[in-house]
Amino acid sequence: MDQAKTAEQLRLCAACPKMCRHMCPTFLAWRSDSPTPHSRSLLVYQEMNGTRNLDERAIEVLYQCLECSQCLVWCLPQVDVAAIVEDTRTRLVEQQRYPQGLDKISSMIATNHNPFGELHSKRSKWFTPAKNVGKKIVYFSGCTAAYRENGIAQSTASLLTKLGYGVSIMNDEWCCGSPLFRTGFRNQGLEEARHNADVLNKQDAQEIVVTCPGCYRALSRDYPENGVQLARPVIHISQLLERHLDELKTADFGGLVTFHDPCHLGRHCGIYDPPRRVLNKISGGKVVEMQRNRENAMCCGNGAGMRMLFEEQARVIGKARVQQARNVGAAYLVTSCPFCKNMLASQDAEGLTVLDLPEIVMASYHLHPKVKM
Amino acid sequence: MLDSKTKSVLLERIRTVVGSDHVTVNETDAILNAHDANPLSEAKIRAGESLPLADLIVFPASTEEVSKVLKLANELRVPVVPVGGGAGTCGGTLPVYGGIQLDLKRMDKVILIDNQSMLVQVQAGVVGIDLEEEVNRQGYTTGHTPTSLRASNVGGFIATRSGGSMSSLYGKIEDLTLGLEVVLADGSVIRCKAVPRHSVGPDLKQLFIGSEGTLCVITEATLRLFPLPKERRFRSMSFPDVHSGLEAIRLIFREGVLPSVVRLYDPEDTALHVSSHFDVEEGSCMLMLAFDGRAEKVAVEESIAAEICLKNGAKDYGEGPSRYWWEHRYDMYYPTKFATSGYSVGDTIDIVATYDKLENVYHEMKKAMEAHDAVVMSHFSHMYPNGGSIYMIFFVSKEDASSAWSAYKGIWDDGVAACLRMGGTMSHQHGVGTTRSTYTEAEWGSGFQVLRQIKEVLDPNGIMNPGKLGMGGRS
Ligand SMILES: Cc1cc2nc3c(=O)[nH]c(=O)nc-3n(C[C@H](O)[C@H](O)[C@H](O)COP(=O)(O)OP(=O)(O)OC[C@H]3O[C@@H](n4cnc5c(N)ncnc54)[C@H](O)[C@@H]3O)c2cc1C
Ligand code: SF4
Ligand code: SF4
Repeated sequence: MDQAKTAEQLRLCAACPKMCRHMCPTFLAWRSDSPTPHSRSLLVYQEMNGTRNLDERAIEVLYQCLECSQCLVWCLPQVDVAAIVEDTRTRLVEQQRYPQGLDKISSMIATNHNPFGELHSKRSKWFTPAKNVGKKIVYFSGCTAAYRENGIAQSTASLLTKLGYGVSIMNDEWCCGSPLFRTGFRNQGLEEARHNADVLNKQDAQEIVVTCPGCYRALSRDYPENGVQLARPVIHISQLLERHLDELKTADFGGLVTFHDPCHLGRHCGIYDPPRRVLNKISGGKVVEMQRNRENAMCCGNGAGMRMLFEEQARVIGKARVQQARNVGAAYLVTSCPFCKNMLASQDAEGLTVLDLPEIVMASYHLHPKVKM
Repeated sequence: MLDSKTKSVLLERIRTVVGSDHVTVNETDAILNAHDANPLSEAKIRAGESLPLADLIVFPASTEEVSKVLKLANELRVPVVPVGGGAGTCGGTLPVYGGIQLDLKRMDKVILIDNQSMLVQVQAGVVGIDLEEEVNRQGYTTGHTPTSLRASNVGGFIATRSGGSMSSLYGKIEDLTLGLEVVLADGSVIRCKAVPRHSVGPDLKQLFIGSEGTLCVITEATLRLFPLPKERRFRSMSFPDVHSGLEAIRLIFREGVLPSVVRLYDPEDTALHVSSHFDVEEGSCMLMLAFDGRAEKVAVEESIAAEICLKNGAKDYGEGPSRYWWEHRYDMYYPTKFATSGYSVGDTIDIVATYDKLENVYHEMKKAMEAHDAVVMSHFSHMYPNGGSIYMIFFVSKEDASSAWSAYKGIWDDGVAACLRMGGTMSHQHGVGTTRSTYTEAEWGSGFQVLRQIKEVLDPNGIMNPGKLGMGGRS
């Protein structure tokens, strides 16, 4: 955002009677007027005007933001608090004024190219190449599926093979950079980006498919916005599966399915319908919407460094989201993001099965076909 | 501001009550919690000015914790400013004398929905929209739909005697509150039983409703519920002037019809908020009506109301403007480039009067306010069988901060004076806070001494929200 635009947005938001606060997940988690959209803008506004510098607590409030952009949906003058927060974080990182808790993740990515501190050499351990001569596609698994949610990575590879693709993964995939971009480490994120682009651009494939919306946003938005060009189109798994609706099986899951829109997929990239069409097909129409859905879907609590820095409050948000799925009588809470899945599944999800999209699609192949459609 | 010794003693002791995560002395938090939605505070923040700050912000989780905090504050003579949603428009939560801001947002439980008696028992910190959505899921509405529903909470509604946009049918919060739990300055907990009516002396809870934190902290309430209306119909009529529109409203109520929404926009407000979307003749006034209930009832009410309007010179606009307002009712509260540029400030003086005085109050206030070079536009809303309220909205812009703030004060002084002179009451729903504090005595007349004496008995040390509601300035 250019400076004049930022200044105008800050002036508007600093004077707002908290019109979107009720939708902000961090307001829900802290129940205080500090971690809210208006307050974040007010802090940056005061700094911009020279009224007051950002002190340690102000920086913390800015890092308590999930960058989920829920506030933007409810903002008539379209103040983009998430973008303001991210720009400010980038500045803070340049000035070495960020929460120390973030050093760990930035150094782990620098050393191992993943934010979990796992060995880079183990990144592709989950993958067993299959012989297939179909359309060549490269699967960019991202760190979470590679190290924490292998089920998603394996389901995706199997599914793509089943659908006739010749699946490969990158020889040397690095973190997509999303956790770095979102927490203000833009330059470090771009180092990961450049490496990935170099390798991907040499890969023999027609398309790049991702399962992680964080990767999707990084590869399709952050990379080109920062001058890193990919030579192949990037597609999210939900979009790819939508192309194959006719080939997907319908199964009886024995209960209702609800879809949690990941912020990066929905609000940030506008992909709402493809996962729903897929779920509708495989469940035979047994999809139910949570009260907060699509552009109003509540964040799972795992965004933009929040879980790393403020685990307890991140869990409050995740738990509330799980409860929203229970409120509508769902038996399956499905998302299309390894990061969201990991958060939601780690809550008290008793009576509710939390799955990622490729996982539930693979499950449909193993269940009895639906009798009644 | 507290001296550092008192502050640190208090902090230590409060930590033992609410836990150290739920009390802060941090300056950044104090700045972010200082202001409500008072337009003057917002304009000052924009202009880079500072507001008074609390020494401590405390977030209790239960009535018991509120009680313990008040006992401590009372013992140490520390001011306590209750904070609800922090979206009041009158500066009620400004910690004018520092001390404790007691923020009730963690007390956010919907305790019980009683289907048989159609009641809901809630903690004070439940945000309006969360409560409304919860009872909607069970087929009810609270009937309380202020445009601060998304930001304000139950305690704030009750503490300011707030009114929803459908108060003509459902009533204001003082009509909707059947039971109340409050904590007094000395920490004692008072419970006013939830009953539909009673005859056991004065209604104590009505003393606390509207007390704006100066007499007690509201911790819990039992509110009425209504089945969600099966139908809501909208109708709009334009009138050649305010007089004929008001006359039609009066006659609609006289016929026994209770619309849920009744809003008559004067020519200026019609020009700004209606003409931009509908083709309305210049100088005319738009009346927006809504009717709630079963289809048959709504149809009869709508046809009676329409007949009365047409007999009084109205032109029928169908559902358009009224439905449009309902669907966009929050829009006018968002900040705009125009309203936030330079040293600008706007506000609303929401007065109330009986029909015999209403029109005169309107004209006199408008004249008095316009004398300060303010843009003034108004709508009559929250109408009842015996009278109703006027939203006197003004906007002023000056070349520097001190001229803007003094124009703002001048408009308030003269606007309220005109209202009182013509027999109106200076607020229907926003309350007093700091904005109207200095006019309270004039409004109440000799009754003000009674209020003051009550305050002295319930809060002898003057710790409860000093400087508000015309009471309790501290030296
Ligand atoms: C966009 C917008 C639209 C509005 N529309 C309406 C409207 O349609 N109708 C209407 O009536 N008002 C409206 N208001 C004004 C205001 O929001 C209400 O009057 C509301 O009742 C204030 O509630 P709050 O929770 O925000 O209170 P706060 O601002 O937190 O507090 C208001 C006062 O009540 C006291 N208080 C708060 N909680 C407690 C408690 N638990 N115990 C004791 N004292 C307490 C505070 O000390 C303060 O003096 C609007 C305001 C805004 C910003
Ligand atoms: S983001 Fe928009 S709606 Fe939210 S506080 Fe800022 S200006 Fe208001
Ligand atoms: S981006 Fe999300 S967490 Fe951040 S202020 Fe907006 S709603 Fe709150």
